Amino acid sequence: MTLGTRTRIQHRAPGDAKAFGAASTALRPALESPRRPARVLAVFPLGVYLEIRTDVEPSVVAVVTGEATRLPNAVVLSDPLPVTAPGDEAAVGDGCIEIGRLTVRVRRWWDPAPSLGPVELSRLEQVLPRLGVVCAASARRPGLADGGAGALLAEGCARGSLTAAITATEQLMGLGPGLTPSGDDMLAGVLVALRQIGRAAGVSRAVWLADWLAATVAFDARTRTTPISATLLHCAAQGQACADALAVLRGIAGHQPLEPAVHRLLRLGHTSGADLAWGLRTGVSAVVALGRSLRTAR
Amino acid sequence: MTSDLVEVRAGVYHDSVSLMRISQALSSRPGVTVAVVAMATELNLGLAREVGFEIPETGPSDLLVAIRADSDAALKDGAEELDRQFAALARGGGSGGAHAESPPRTTRAAARAWDASLALVSVPGEHAFAEAMDAIDAGLSVMIFSDNIPVEQEVLLKERASERGVLVMGPDCGTAVVGGAGLGFANVLRPGRVGVVAASGTGAQQVTCLLDHAGAGVSHVLGVGGRDLSAAVGGRSTLVALAALDADPATELIVLISKPPAPEVAEVVRRAVEGLATPVVTALLGPGQDDLTSAAEKALRALGLDVPEWPSWPVPQRAAPSAELSGLYSGGTLCTEARIIAGSGAFTDFGDDEYTRGRAHPMIDPTLRLEALGRASGVALLDVVLGHAAEPDPSARLAPAVREACERGTAVVVALVGTESDPQGMRRQADALVTAGASVFTSNAAAARHAASLIGSAL
Amino acid sequence: MLDGEPRVITAGAAVLAEALDQQAVPRLGVDWRPPLPGTSAALAKVLADPARQRANEVAVGRLLSARPQLVGVRPARDVLDLPERTFFHAGPPIDWERASGPMRGALIGAALFEGLAADAEEAERLLVSGSVKLDSCHHHRTVGPMAGVVSPSMWMFEVVDGEHGGTAYCSLNEGLGKVLRYGAYGPEVVERLRWMGEVLGPVLAGALAVSGPMDLRSLIAQALQMGDELHNRNRAATSLMVREIAPAIVEASPEHAAAVLRFINGNDHFFLNAGMAAGKVSADAARDVPGSSLVVAMARNGTDFGIQVSGLGDRWFTGPAGVPDGLYLGAYGPDDANPDIGDSTITETSGLGGFAMAAAPAIVRFVGGDVSDAIAATRSMYEITLAEHPAYQIPGLGFRGTPTGIDLALIARTGQLPVVNTGIAGRVAGTGQVGAGLVSPPAEAFTSALAALADT
Repeated sequence: MTLGTRTRIQHRAPGDAKAFGAASTALRPALESPRRPARVLAVFPLGVYLEIRTDVEPSVVAVVTGEATRLPNAVVLSDPLPVTAPGDEAAVGDGCIEIGRLTVRVRRWWDPAPSLGPVELSRLEQVLPRLGVVCAASARRPGLADGGAGALLAEGCARGSLTAAITATEQLMGLGPGLTPSGDDMLAGVLVALRQIGRAAGVSRAVWLADWLAATVAFDARTRTTPISATLLHCAAQGQACADALAVLRGIAGHQPLEPAVHRLLRLGHTSGADLAWGLRTGVSAVVALGRSLRTAR
Repeated sequence: MTSDLVEVRAGVYHDSVSLMRISQALSSRPGVTVAVVAMATELNLGLAREVGFEIPETGPSDLLVAIRADSDAALKDGAEELDRQFAALARGGGSGGAHAESPPRTTRAAARAWDASLALVSVPGEHAFAEAMDAIDAGLSVMIFSDNIPVEQEVLLKERASERGVLVMGPDCGTAVVGGAGLGFANVLRPGRVGVVAASGTGAQQVTCLLDHAGAGVSHVLGVGGRDLSAAVGGRSTLVALAALDADPATELIVLISKPPAPEVAEVVRRAVEGLATPVVTALLGPGQDDLTSAAEKALRALGLDVPEWPSWPVPQRAAPSAELSGLYSGGTLCTEARIIAGSGAFTDFGDDEYTRGRAHPMIDPTLRLEALGRASGVALLDVVLGHAAEPDPSARLAPAVREACERGTAVVVALVGTESDPQGMRRQADALVTAGASVFTSNAAAARHAASLIGSAL
Repeated sequence: MLDGEPRVITAGAAVLAEALDQQAVPRLGVDWRPPLPGTSAALAKVLADPARQRANEVAVGRLLSARPQLVGVRPARDVLDLPERTFFHAGPPIDWERASGPMRGALIGAALFEGLAADAEEAERLLVSGSVKLDSCHHHRTVGPMAGVVSPSMWMFEVVDGEHGGTAYCSLNEGLGKVLRYGAYGPEVVERLRWMGEVLGPVLAGALAVSGPMDLRSLIAQALQMGDELHNRNRAATSLMVREIAPAIVEASPEHAAAVLRFINGNDHFFLNAGMAAGKVSADAARDVPGSSLVVAMARNGTDFGIQVSGLGDRWFTGPAGVPDGLYLGAYGPDDANPDIGDSTITETSGLGGFAMAAAPAIVRFVGGDVSDAIAATRSMYEITLAEHPAYQIPGLGFRGTPTGIDLALIARTGQLPVVNTGIAGRVAGTGQVGAGLVSPPAEAFTSALAALADT
């Protein structure tokens, strides 16, 4: 991986090579806006990250190949990735993405937060232990030690305690090393599960909690963590997740086999997959706990 | 002094649409007067002989190239263009994708070699049965774009598909969107909550594009073929498609678009619809029934969304008191809808078999329609359908013809079916056509009403 | 059905495929071409037959599950109900008049061997007169390589199918050079046949009586993994056979053991004939399934190439035999070559030979090509076969089963004809082998069979 922070000034003719792809609808506002300058933030074998010069999220666009993890802010290219380096100039808007001489146009939109349909609370109660078994049996562990802010978040969500949950959220943002710190991935998992599973199970308290945590994230993420991680947190706050996390959600809702989906998620990145899996489990636990207390109250 | 180039390439095959595009590209080279690049079938050989080419001994599995130019230099230029076109075809191409180095020769072999979820069959109709059956036998749903498939074969395919629990879309299915992937002539739509089951390709395109304009997305668009709701086929695919959308968590509303079905089939479908958990909006097209625009509006209301003002760009137009209305359509359902709404006029569906024998669909090759527009007087009403696989820039050829027609005093009204995300860009196409003098409507029904009002015959 | 990301197979218009590529939809394109000329109507009828798929499953299932075992070696006279003055020959039925050079040579040799004539001229007069009856090996559960001539005094491999109970026969292999099967009939040919009848046959029979049946299915499976394709290369199979039977030969006939083992060791193709009988008994198990478009025999008589089809009984469908394309021995060239001849295409019919070329990189040059050609040949045969053999596997293709069970309909759809590996016989009677190579069968044999199947 190569990462850059400086902007290389290069004067080039506008894009003269064409490529096409499929984009997340999370990027639709950015693509439909007037053209704005951007720069290449990072280059990987399967993806190029661009940062748009804007205050509006999502500010980072992942241009990836079909083999890459499909992040919620991704455009999947049908053609090979362009040769580029961190700091190179790019642009996003007016319906296309420009990287150097390459112009990428969108020929398909996909939803990074597809509806799960209704899910019974009893289904979640039955699925949670299975999730736990797979995660416990795996050598892949979250990047942060047990306890600490993670435990606080789990406890705060399960109790529906806004103060505890927000405090933990603030602590987790940007916590840990790397491009997407573990704290962010764990938080992202919780955000997605609270919103998506909360909605599917009809536990409005969970969605309400997700709204508050989303507001916290929207307020703080850009100053607390890396640009890529901030964008992914922003997406998670809307219930948007990478394809592997979505597959686990579909597994939880009973639309596809659960265990293989969890295994695939756990293999993701260094600790990202395990962090996300922890977050999803924690979020689903909270939905169950909040749903149960509602039932008892009635 | 003209020069001819006639060449037979033994055992080379390309599909007819690709070859027509090459013929078209060659014909547009300066100095090239005739260009026939086609498989050496009896029909194509006849066409080439008719224009005076000397054709050597050949057969239907060979490729025929016949070019005539008004100079040797122009012929040479044509031959070079031919090589470029074939090279481009080899790079993009129907085969390829995964396994490009030794591509499978049948759908059966492809399904064995690769983990697919769906097959798209667009081989000539007489050969489509084999490919479609391969897909079904491999447990894949299949979209059959090909037409001219006997109804007995359709029934066989759909019976087998029911046994295997897969869906047959078509035959003669022009449009489908599955999991966001546009198959055939589909538009680039935003993903969303509406699932569509349609017995008509352009009908589905009109409805989904209007939904897209209104900000409502679609989950899937499943075409079933124009004959599915006939007594012979019995709605087999419609029933499978309804059940599939009902089971799909992303689909919150189903829109069923069709001509009024055979009475016994209508009953079966009605009972199936009643058994679904997902609400269904049924749009039956025909005189005194729904039009496509009202179907889209019904769907929006069912979703609890506002019905917007459908985008349109009318220009001041007048027609002579006794002016005639000519409808020049590429989409069959759109043509029928406009004819019913306008109440009078001469309507032609250039997508009909009669006009597509030996040439591509008018959404790909507009030549015949442009010729008809050149002759039209009074009011000319036409559709322009955007999306995948359609002409890359329809206004490039249409706008000059519109301008010419307007200058002749013909009022031109266009129903523009497409979205802003379509490869051709809806606004860009609308701008070009409006600038040329046409009134443009995104609703075909509105376009037809406007055209009829110009001749004073609106219903 | 609607879950997950679509992955699409496309067959047809390139413009629709390109639209999917631009949407970054994973796609595999079919390299579709129109079917063989004149087959559209028959194809439509055959493919629409609702019984066809099940019929083919049954037929190919039998072919795949056959368990050929070598149980004995016996004189043709005893086992084939072969009367005096009747000879069997390779390929579809043929008479003297239409027979090619090597076929005539082999028939003359057989007449001399049986003592029906004192010299070649007399033998020829006898054969011209029609007083020796000719019939196709395939009509009698028998196959023979090249000319495939079987006369009453020849000794035959007897192979039974342990699964379905069928029996099939093939003569013993004479070795290379001047041999009867290539149409040679000189004194050394006849003398060798005599020795084979007096010594080789009885010794092998005795040895098999000691050792018990030999499992040819497992032997073939092993030989494939040792670089044989079992038609033009039988070196591994022959070695395995010798290893298995040698102790029994020594035990049963110590006085002849050295001569017999030396003879077998001197002939890399000794196993071919046993393998052919194994192929025949397996293919015969798949016969007579109504509606099935499975090819159960491909055979050449040096003039015609003929096939038989499971759903069409014992009818032959023929076309002119082609001249193989390959490498020639010594000073021989294509002008010296006879059209394709022999029943050894039973190997291809049962999923071996040319169909298993990818297993035999060692002989690719012998048939004029390189390793990638061999792999391409095998890959292309998956296009026209109904199944992959569960026991016959190709290490180089990740132990994928060999393409087995030729389907008429798939041949018509793809225009892909079976790849046949073969030896090339000299055109002039008595010349012997002049080369080896690949041969393409005539398409009309398959298209006429398809038409007949459509009419049933």
